Amino acid sequence: MKKFSSKIILAFAALLMVALLTAGCGGSKTENKTAGQSGEPEKLKVGFVYIGPVDDNGWTTAHDQGRKYLEEKLPYVETSYVENVPENPADAERVITQLAEEGNKVIFTTSFGYMDPTINVAKKYPDVIFLHCSGYKNDKNVAAYFGRMYQARYLSGIAAGKATKSNLIGYVAAFPIPEVIRGINAFTLGVQKVNPDAKVKVVWTHTWIDAAAEKDAAVALLDSGADVIAQHQDSPGPQQAAEAVGKFGVGYNSDMGKMAPKAVLTSPVWNWGPFYVQIVQAIKEGKFDSTPKCGSLTYWPGLKDGIIGLAPYGPMVSEETKQLIEQEKQRIISGEWDVFTGPIKDQQGQVKVPDGQKLSDNDMLNMDWFVQGVEGSTK
Amino acid sequence: MLADALPATIAKGLKESMSNSYLVELKNITKKFPGVIANDKVNFNVKKGEIHALLGENGSGKSTLMSILSGLYRPDEGEIIINGTRMVFKSPRHAISAGIGMVHQHFKLIDSFSVAENVILGDDRIPRVLNMKEIEKNLAQLSLRYGLHINPASMVWQLSVGEKQRVEIVKMLYRGSQVLILDEPTAVLTPQETDELFRNIKEMAKSGRGIVVITHKLHEVEQIADRVTVLRKGNSVATLERDQINRQELARLMVGQEITTQCKRNTRPGTQKVLELQNVSCLNDLGLSGLKNITFEVHSGEIFGIAGVAGNGQRELAEVIYGLRKINSGSILVNGTNITGYSPRQMIDCGVALVPEDRLGTGLIPNLGTIDNLILKDYRKEKMNRGPFINWQKAKQKVSRLVDSFEVKVSSLEAPVKLLSGGNLQRLLLAREISSKPQLLIAVYPVRGLDIKATEAIHELLMGQREKGTAILLISEDLDEICKLSDRIGVLSNGSITGIISSDQADINEIGLLMMGETGAEAI
Amino acid sequence: MILSSYTIEKRLAPSSTAFIFIPVLSIVLALIFGAVFLNLSGFNFIEIYTKMFTGAFGSYYGLTETIVRSIPLTITGLGVALAFRMQLWNIGGEGQLYMGAFAATWVALSFPSGSAWWLLPAMVLLSMLAGGLWALLPAIPKALWGVNEIITTLMLNYVAIFWVDYLVYGPWKDPNGFNFPLTAQFGPGAILPALGNSRIHAGLFFGIILAVLFYIVIYHTRWGYEIRVTGENPNSAKYAGMNTLKNIILVMVVSGAVCGLAGMSEVSGIGGRLQHGLSPGYGFTAIIVAWLSRLNPFAIIIVSFLLGGLQVGGYIVQTSGIPSSMVSMLQGMLLFFVLGGELLTNYRISKTPVTMSGVDNR
Repeated sequence: MKKFSSKIILAFAALLMVALLTAGCGGSKTENKTAGQSGEPEKLKVGFVYIGPVDDNGWTTAHDQGRKYLEEKLPYVETSYVENVPENPADAERVITQLAEEGNKVIFTTSFGYMDPTINVAKKYPDVIFLHCSGYKNDKNVAAYFGRMYQARYLSGIAAGKATKSNLIGYVAAFPIPEVIRGINAFTLGVQKVNPDAKVKVVWTHTWIDAAAEKDAAVALLDSGADVIAQHQDSPGPQQAAEAVGKFGVGYNSDMGKMAPKAVLTSPVWNWGPFYVQIVQAIKEGKFDSTPKCGSLTYWPGLKDGIIGLAPYGPMVSEETKQLIEQEKQRIISGEWDVFTGPIKDQQGQVKVPDGQKLSDNDMLNMDWFVQGVEGSTK
Repeated sequence: MLADALPATIAKGLKESMSNSYLVELKNITKKFPGVIANDKVNFNVKKGEIHALLGENGSGKSTLMSILSGLYRPDEGEIIINGTRMVFKSPRHAISAGIGMVHQHFKLIDSFSVAENVILGDDRIPRVLNMKEIEKNLAQLSLRYGLHINPASMVWQLSVGEKQRVEIVKMLYRGSQVLILDEPTAVLTPQETDELFRNIKEMAKSGRGIVVITHKLHEVEQIADRVTVLRKGNSVATLERDQINRQELARLMVGQEITTQCKRNTRPGTQKVLELQNVSCLNDLGLSGLKNITFEVHSGEIFGIAGVAGNGQRELAEVIYGLRKINSGSILVNGTNITGYSPRQMIDCGVALVPEDRLGTGLIPNLGTIDNLILKDYRKEKMNRGPFINWQKAKQKVSRLVDSFEVKVSSLEAPVKLLSGGNLQRLLLAREISSKPQLLIAVYPVRGLDIKATEAIHELLMGQREKGTAILLISEDLDEICKLSDRIGVLSNGSITGIISSDQADINEIGLLMMGETGAEAI
Repeated sequence: MILSSYTIEKRLAPSSTAFIFIPVLSIVLALIFGAVFLNLSGFNFIEIYTKMFTGAFGSYYGLTETIVRSIPLTITGLGVALAFRMQLWNIGGEGQLYMGAFAATWVALSFPSGSAWWLLPAMVLLSMLAGGLWALLPAIPKALWGVNEIITTLMLNYVAIFWVDYLVYGPWKDPNGFNFPLTAQFGPGAILPALGNSRIHAGLFFGIILAVLFYIVIYHTRWGYEIRVTGENPNSAKYAGMNTLKNIILVMVVSGAVCGLAGMSEVSGIGGRLQHGLSPGYGFTAIIVAWLSRLNPFAIIIVSFLLGGLQVGGYIVQTSGIPSSMVSMLQGMLLFFVLGGELLTNYRISKTPVTMSGVDNR
């Protein structure tokens, strides 16, 4: 036993030395950072709270690219972030508070589940401005924002409608919440624009990111005859499942064509950067106003603002389709038409949006029904 | 013996040639465990092509000896010579590679693997890339040669007990075992399976292997052994050749002769029947018949000893009386009340106390302290409680009193009892059981593993209880103990009482024969 | 030839110094290993450790948050520890927590304007009932037929989580919530009072009271005695005439009820509503808490506090640019070393000389 413990001490000492030796290279990096800080005028600190890891190639990566863009475009901005923050109130509220405590003047909370925690923390820090993505609550210093992803979904639906031969399109979807339902509806309207007979079949996975579960859902859809797989999920699993059996797909969040080049027609993608720059600039200039203007949202930019778009098309998409999509895109950007313009019927055939009318922002944000042509339930 | 008569040089040569024909020689093997000498200078050898029976009661040291030979234990003294070379086995694997294969009583097979997979498991000669077809073919041939019918591809969970045993044997043959040790191989087999096993064993011996069969059944020795070595209390008492084998002699060798003088008895047993068993039958853990039509009674102030080789129904008997095991037929009476089907709790309330066979496994809770252990039987009683709470003050008082009066040596009342010696554990257990002032005390192997001093102390305690009028059922495999303490002796063999003898008329040979299953009628 | 080999033997009785020395040594070792990794990845470990520690324990806010985090861990830790005492492996703390949250929410939503004096006790009772019943499901087959409770309790976790998901995505969705998966906010009467301006809520007292109760029950009641005996040696329990069947069911139900209470304290003390992803695995962390505490109720409070601090501190250092994967690695390393140290407390490594002569004649 005596020998044994002396060995432990030896190992101990060795480890300590390694730790101290390596300490040198670690220290310098942080020093640089602080040195740069003191030389310049005080920076505007902006914090971000992420639901996933920054390298998820999906939702969080998109926001993080926006963050990097912001830092690059506005030299007076210094950002920090906390990733992998669960949506339970205990953790989220603490992390947001922490960012406020650390002197961030603007805090982006980028998942729906952070809504209540954001509102709670905002009450305690009236000088800090909070921007919450995808929720519906606002306050003096809290603005809710989102992007009109449904517009890009509609465009991608056109590509899918052209590609399907079995007239059955599978849609792997995360949770039956308005954001996802709206996307499915817009996508279906796009499909039916070019292919009125095609149906969209929905499977819920009840997870935002779980490659295996998403893949399983896609395989089930493929087995039931679908030949194009769309998704409201963060992993490329469904696209890979489609590629494996030589079928097509429509990705989401980032250009999934990189992961499944033979299958992906296109992917509706986020491009938060320009919006983040715009909003931080406005805050800097004292022009921040959290009054909701688009339904319950303060900001709801769309195609027009460049915040969403389509990733590059796959080689199988024809020129004709591309042109048609471009046409529709211009129609939306010009503001003369939007996706949810009547006549639109729900699954039971009841007219939800009369001919010529546009669905209000509030109705869109509240959406809990499927348009005709969707197979599946919103529960 | 023969060599002694010849001139020295010839004798030497003869000895050498003899030792060359030995596959295995164990010389002066001594193995001590704390408090016990399991093997005391034991000599044992196995010749080519012979079936050598190793006979002895439980605790006589057979298993220890064979565990040494198969590399599980290292001997404290003595040597192991395999094919003339002195060996020290580091592990069972080492012994297997030297050609010693042991088939344990409890099979070491993996149910969800096939026979072939089990056979090659742990065999490091097998190449990394398996050719199962080839292995299965070899196995099929190997098993066919000795008439061991098994299908190498079948899954182990599908096999019967007999088949599993054959798999174990084939496993050892496949690894090239020259000496095969079978530990009580027939204990789990039906008579038909036993016959088949014996045929297989003979076949294997014919091919030049040495077979060791560990057993305590005399008729099996008669049936198959070429030689038999008898162990008693860690000593090898004799090795007999085939033509010297007879039951009487074996029984005598096995149980020994010396009978200790009986304890001084100041009182005579009472006439009140405290315990009565009437035609009690039950099943054992394997679902086979465990006890068959047991009938006897124990009177107040009497010690009724149950003699017999362990595994003949002793545990079942104790469990049945104490309510831990259901009976199939018959009835049990305590003080004239029919208590058949009572739970242990009701038994405790009827004044039945049990000193179980497995001290630390059942009787005591190893990780708990002395106090917790001593209140196990009466924590429920009113005097120990205050509402739903245990009155630890009272409990502590009682426990310190008991520890003092029973002279249990404990470092503290809270320290886990697993730290106590075997003798102290047994005192603790008896202290608890006796302090409940039982009408009937069942003591199962009460001195197993204890040294002489502790044994004396326990015996005194039991005798003390007898004087006080407690009826005592003493179950033991130690005939000396039984003869010394008991007023009457019942012999249990294969689940039946083969005879009941008053201890002043007890004849050791007679008891030995009864233990071997000779029926009482003939013997008396 | 003399060889030596090392074998691991169980210690008869762990020495008392080992109880203190080994965990401390384990933590120090883990921190040193972590420091090597941090430095190799270009971070200053001293700064990070300092920040982690002060973030979790050094500031008023951090300290209160660590306590907030430790509340559900303490309660669920006590719940599962009770079952573990009897060697019942209740891995279903998470599900029982969810069922408790569900029942509490049902009360809160049914009486949105109820007053606290009766609403909170009703929520406590109902949540414990729900958690207890949820644990009863695996307890019955365990008691009657010996069905392995590890598997059944584990599986029922998912049933409970999906049940809550179903409710918040479906019938219990807040009608004014834009169809988002949240129930309506509880009325003020259904919210546990908080301490000062912090988020520490009355659930803290549940934890402390339960720990004291746990201690009294286990060490001072007949039932606790039976639990200890049965857990240490089921044969002895049978032999002493204890009703093991009854105790299995009772212990599981109480264990589940306690975990259910943790669900109530989370929805009522922190969230103020039921939602998807209510617990970040409290019921699973509770298992680690229970083991590290050696099933001692007061140690459970301390270990919960330390583990809570580890998790709180983990988020705090992220703003220094440490990726969360690195933090998870540090946390994992600490647990690994501490659990590994457990092995050394109860076992020791001994050197056994082996003499070997003769040849391995194969």
